[in-house]
Amino acid sequence: MNSTIANALLVARREISVRARTRGFLVGLALSALLVAALPVIPKLFGGPDSYAVGLVGARSAALEPAARALAPGEQITLTFTRLPDERAAHAAITAGDLDAAVVDDGRLLADGDPPQELGALLQGAHRAVQTEQRLRAAGLDPARVTEAMRVPPLTEVSVSTAGGDSGVRAGVAMLLVLTLFFLLISAVTQVAMGVVEEKGSRIVELLLTSIRPGELLGGKILGLGALGLLNLVVVIAAGLGSALATGLAGDLPDGMTGIVLGALAWFLLGYAFFSALAAALGSLVSRQEEVSSVLTPMTTLLTAAYLVAFYAVTEPAGTLARVLSLVPPFSSMVMPVRTAAADVPVWEVGVAALLMLLAVAVVLTAGARIYRSAVLRTGARLRLRDVLPAAR
Amino acid sequence: MLEAEDLHKRYGDTIALRGVALRVRPGEMFGFVGANGAGKTTTMRIVMGVLGPDSGEVRWRGEPVTAAARRGFGYMPEERGLYQKMRVAEQIAYFGRLHGMTAAEAKSATGALMERLGLTERAGDPVEALSLGNQQRVQLAVALVHDPTLLVLDEPFSGLDPIAVDALAEVLAERCRAGVPVIFSSHQLDLVERLCDSVGIIAAGRMVAAGPVEEVRAAEGRRSLRVVVRDPAPGWADGLPGEVTADGDGRQVLRTTEGDDQAILAAASRAGRVEHFGWEQPTLTEIFREAVA
Repeated sequence: MNSTIANALLVARREISVRARTRGFLVGLALSALLVAALPVIPKLFGGPDSYAVGLVGARSAALEPAARALAPGEQITLTFTRLPDERAAHAAITAGDLDAAVVDDGRLLADGDPPQELGALLQGAHRAVQTEQRLRAAGLDPARVTEAMRVPPLTEVSVSTAGGDSGVRAGVAMLLVLTLFFLLISAVTQVAMGVVEEKGSRIVELLLTSIRPGELLGGKILGLGALGLLNLVVVIAAGLGSALATGLAGDLPDGMTGIVLGALAWFLLGYAFFSALAAALGSLVSRQEEVSSVLTPMTTLLTAAYLVAFYAVTEPAGTLARVLSLVPPFSSMVMPVRTAAADVPVWEVGVAALLMLLAVAVVLTAGARIYRSAVLRTGARLRLRDVLPAAR
Repeated sequence: MLEAEDLHKRYGDTIALRGVALRVRPGEMFGFVGANGAGKTTTMRIVMGVLGPDSGEVRWRGEPVTAAARRGFGYMPEERGLYQKMRVAEQIAYFGRLHGMTAAEAKSATGALMERLGLTERAGDPVEALSLGNQQRVQLAVALVHDPTLLVLDEPFSGLDPIAVDALAEVLAERCRAGVPVIFSSHQLDLVERLCDSVGIIAAGRMVAAGPVEEVRAAEGRRSLRVVVRDPAPGWADGLPGEVTADGDGRQVLRTTEGDDQAILAAASRAGRVEHFGWEQPTLTEIFREAVA
């Protein structure tokens, strides 16, 4: 194997094995996964249950069951029916909370207060259908033709929005993506800067650079911490999708979900490469951990600006600002994945954005490595870019 | 053999090195002495490739030093540096691997070295949990793990107690006996005189004396004549070269680097009882003081 790659991998392995063991990383991983996994559950908590127990009293209401069962899947609710001997038993079961509602023979719907809205609507619909069919038959119409006539196909739902039919869910997914990308990027990138300063401040870098080149050291560090960031992103996405499947929300997810996820991973890597090179270059200017956050300010400002634009793009994915900045690096690394999640984006736009971002990454990596090389051995007071750049040339 | 030829280095307006040269043979222990800021650390950094010289060249076994050759060198920088949160054994093995060892080689070398340096029980502890003395041992282990072809140590003895000094001296002597050239810098000139085969004295970026310790001490013009006379007549040394000091016990000591020793002896015998007469080589401390002055 090429020794440059072997050295960088050696450095990356150290970063991973040391960092992956820290409590901070493990807690962050577990917490972010839990948070995202909890999200699909939240609408359920506020939206009430989607399965109901219904009691039926008397022979006539029994006819309601098949009609109600036929309607239930369309409303995405599940029903369980219980036959009860009389109205007293229905009362008791509702009061005890065993039943959500009960239909009594003579056409009354019992509930604890108002019945749940979607359950009420469904039972009323079923009742109307059963009654209509019975009355038509009683009026002497051919039962077969009545049945035939009653079989009305529902209205086909068509969305005219550019965001496609599932715009609400897509916006939710996009929003989640913005938050996840932002927090993972900023934490991974800060780790890179802190690692650079740790090695510079402890002077261990002088020892390291006698056996490997600065580019190998920096490359390995970026690689190792990036792999951990990517792992964190994969875990978060898996937790979100897993939870969506478990709660039955997955049916609502937009069609191109696989593409959205793969795109998010690719954009994360591009954004990470850009911002981590920037963070490493800035970090190499200082020698103490206390100075890291202040020296990183230009980078965090840029990243936060990208975050805000991406946030705006969630609501206006087709707006001019979102369209333009989704092509401009480094904004594109956060705005483009959000746009593709929130709405349909022409392939050529994604291609142009990716190409420009790749170019920007190449430029920043080269310049960042150059600054790092000339600054990392100069410990002491904070250096200015001006001090470093002439020497780097 | 390690050779440095005519090294020049300048930091902005400050000239750090003005033509430093040195030569260390296989199995030779070379002591590098000089005041703070004289250029010791800069020279060692250039040898290790951490810095590039403005001009001049470092050669290893007759060839300009390559990155591959340098990977075989062992180094202890002046500013000690270790990963504070990394475990002792992992850290030593990691540096072994950076120097090109396989995982298995690094592991077995780490085990042997920790045994030798008394670190075995601390293998699983993070470096930050160790005493300063033990951290220093880890630092040494990091320099030695890959069985270096050359050892460059910047102030390795500073901050060590006398027992630790002896232990480190023994480890370095062991490497020398194995044929490895060893360079170390120190302010403790008695230590350099005791341990080293050759010495380099650097002042203001120039090598003012270099070579085998005995040769440096015996160098032309550095010998001095010391004559001790008991109860001499006053004014006995008038007309003789050198300086006369009284030791307060009726003895007078004449020191000179020039003059006819036989004439001086005759004058001293006339003046009183001569208790000591002889040419002496200066100590390294004296040579050093003279060089730095």
